[in-house]
Amino acid sequence: MLKSLSLRAITLSILWIGLGVLKLNDMAENGLLLQGAIFSVLIIAGSLFELFYHYQGDKYLLPTVQTIMVIGLVFLVRINPSRAETQFLWANLGMIVFYVVFLILRDYRKLGEYQYLWGMLALLLLLVTLVFGTTLNGAKSWISFGVRGFQPEELVKVALLLFLASYLGKNKELLRFGTVQVGRISLPDIHTVGPFLFIGVIVLGLLGAQKSLGTALVFFLLMVFIMYLVTERVLYLVASIPLILVTGAIGYLLFGHVRVRVAAWIDPWADPTGGSFQIAQSIFAISGGRLLGTGLGNGIGAYQIPYGDTDFIFAVIAEELGFLGAMAVISLFIIVVLRCFAVSVRAGDRFGQILSAGIGILIGVEALIILAGVTKMLPLTGLPLPWVSYGGSSMVVHFMLLGILANISHHSSFVLNEIPIGKRVNAL
Amino acid sequence: MTKGIRNIALIMVFSFVFLSLGLAYWQVVNADTMLDNPANRRAVFLEKRITRGSIYDRNGVVLAKTVGTGENKFREYPLGEMFQPLIGYATVQYGSAGLEATEAETLLGINDKSILRKIQNTFELKRTGNDVVLTLDARLQETAYEGLKGKTGAVVAIDPQNGDVLALVSQPSYDATTLEAEWDAILARQNSPLLNHAFSLFPPGSTMKIVTSGAIFRAGLDTTELFKCEGKTVINGQTIPEQNGKVHGWVNYDLALAYSCNTYFAQYGIKAGAQNFLKALSDFGFGQDIPFELYVPPSSVTNEDPLPQTLGANLLASSAFGQGEVMVSPFHMALITAGVANNGKIMAPHLIDSVLDSKQNRIYKRTPEIWLSPLSESNAEIIKSGMILAVNKGSAAPGALPDVQVAAKTGSAETGGNEDTHAWYVAFAPADDPKIAVAVLVEHGGTGSGAAAPIAKAVIEKALELREGEN
Repeated sequence: MLKSLSLRAITLSILWIGLGVLKLNDMAENGLLLQGAIFSVLIIAGSLFELFYHYQGDKYLLPTVQTIMVIGLVFLVRINPSRAETQFLWANLGMIVFYVVFLILRDYRKLGEYQYLWGMLALLLLLVTLVFGTTLNGAKSWISFGVRGFQPEELVKVALLLFLASYLGKNKELLRFGTVQVGRISLPDIHTVGPFLFIGVIVLGLLGAQKSLGTALVFFLLMVFIMYLVTERVLYLVASIPLILVTGAIGYLLFGHVRVRVAAWIDPWADPTGGSFQIAQSIFAISGGRLLGTGLGNGIGAYQIPYGDTDFIFAVIAEELGFLGAMAVISLFIIVVLRCFAVSVRAGDRFGQILSAGIGILIGVEALIILAGVTKMLPLTGLPLPWVSYGGSSMVVHFMLLGILANISHHSSFVLNEIPIGKRVNAL
Repeated sequence: MTKGIRNIALIMVFSFVFLSLGLAYWQVVNADTMLDNPANRRAVFLEKRITRGSIYDRNGVVLAKTVGTGENKFREYPLGEMFQPLIGYATVQYGSAGLEATEAETLLGINDKSILRKIQNTFELKRTGNDVVLTLDARLQETAYEGLKGKTGAVVAIDPQNGDVLALVSQPSYDATTLEAEWDAILARQNSPLLNHAFSLFPPGSTMKIVTSGAIFRAGLDTTELFKCEGKTVINGQTIPEQNGKVHGWVNYDLALAYSCNTYFAQYGIKAGAQNFLKALSDFGFGQDIPFELYVPPSSVTNEDPLPQTLGANLLASSAFGQGEVMVSPFHMALITAGVANNGKIMAPHLIDSVLDSKQNRIYKRTPEIWLSPLSESNAEIIKSGMILAVNKGSAAPGALPDVQVAAKTGSAETGGNEDTHAWYVAFAPADDPKIAVAVLVEHGGTGSGAAAPIAKAVIEKALELREGEN
């Protein structure tokens, strides 16, 4: 009780210190402060709800995510106030979605019964996008509803995770030990591995066709890591390396904007006003932050970096809060990812275990790929930073995942209470 | 499955740690390199937001200030072209130059290292940079400027006892307030107004004999020994003439310096030998960067090598009296003169006296320190007596003042071709307790005693008068 409230207090004080500093610099309208107030009330209400509901699950995940989200909101107010207003609404909606998913699910285990439905849903969503989608920044990944756009590939994350968790839960042993002997390596038969390969290839192919290469990379790594996690066979990790090189090379040859980005990655200073303008500006902003940052509201990157409120928001944070602030954000993401694994270890059943670990892998990989792109450690792929970048689809979907996690950890606490400890091993 | 979870968790954590190393690389290791990248416009944008601090002379006279607020800010230089190109300019369109460029970080207040300042900056955005107070004296600068106006060249005045630069004029000049409007016209003007002539390299002519004296002492040659000057001498097949073929007759070191006798210094330079000569030059700072707020190119002995390992006899003989390939900046020549004045110790020159932050707290104050010690006290005294004789009986007479003993040396440097010689005049005064050292160069001005001496005289007179006023 005291713990959960004090965590909320830390989160809210970060929010209000940030908004206060921006207010002092005449960068925050009163309308935004009102939004902040509504948001704060919602956070407190959520924590009271958990109290009355006797929530028994993980106590750190949501507060950590809320802290990440609050940093993102403060920076959106600073970078793009009109979008910040919308983002507050998305944030409120996201938290409501979180509690709704948590309550409606009641028992997440039901989700594991529809594995092919999830797989098909993922494919369908991507197909619909490919046919009816609109193109933005080189990727055809948006469905427009009048003014508002929606990115179905965010929802695909949920569908794909559910498919993977249920499929792998059922076929774990077959995949692990294999039934077909090829030389000295035993491989699973095509009947077992077929659905996985089929869904995987089609999903990645469709994403490639939409030119959402960043998302394709995330899904690819998610599938490889989750496969390894379940089977514990290094073979699957090693086999993915040539795959990624080959597909990377194909993408490089097929897409012009991939070539530009790779060239910009190799030498951003060759054409800093053209093809590598984004990454050069990002690096200038980040390095301008130095150890302690320029101070909130004092940076240059907020105006200079294209997409400073979406893909490059981390560069603006790194500039204004410096190395220390950037490290704080990275640490918060590490906490979230590791809490997902902690939930996974404690989960009462195999499906829940794989699902929660999968969510952890997804969040970790997403954060790593976009952050590595912004800091020029990998070629750039436009991805939103979960809970930080501007965008409703990503916000709502990630809160859905968080709701599922809360559900898993809430239930596993009862499972653990009901089962004598010695027997627990057999359940997994 | 627990092992799988553990390994994936480790992969994740290591990746995040690796990412942090990447951040550290950009934000800590490489931050300065990135700031200097030509494509990085941060400084310009910061400039737009921060009010650049003012530049003052030592008595608080405004030399540069920012007028107006917000988008209508512009930089004003109230004294016009008198302080250019030393102060330089700071424009969005043409970049920046001079002090405005080298002190940009100070004037914008973006190089403050203190944590406290950082925290302050975090919470206040509209900022004023630091003010820079120079060691220059606007009144002395005016005298030097009036003297040199209309000519091409430079005047440098230094306090020999602490290295304060009191005046630094370069001609021709420009008005930085209207620089952007007149940019093309300024570029088209004769004799490079944007170039600081005090920091350009010229043949030193006979002023070089001060430096050659160092080689004579170093070789232990007897300066009382008499030498017969016959108007010209031949060394290694090369004829060394006196100026206008003048015959000085029997001279010792003092008289040779006073009359500016070329043959004496050529012969004694040869006697001292190349190694002593080069070592003396090195002691006086040839081939070295001068520790100064602005970049001054190092003075050089030959075209190929600023400070070669050895020197042929012909080049040694002609270098010894300031011809050959020797190149010195007026600024360096002023420092050499100040070294003689200050008992053989050259103080590190300073242009910036102090830096004040926007709340007028002093955050930097210059401290006098010795840069080089090329001469012993007794040897500096010998050169000084020669320079006093030059004013009282010799070629430097036009620089004499009625009630103060000036010590000086003239120079008329051949520039090749049929153009007039560069007129040099270096001096310090009062001889027994030097308060000011001056180097004047008038490019193609003719003789040092004709073109340059009156300017130096006026500057010294003004400087001593200002000193009187202070006490």
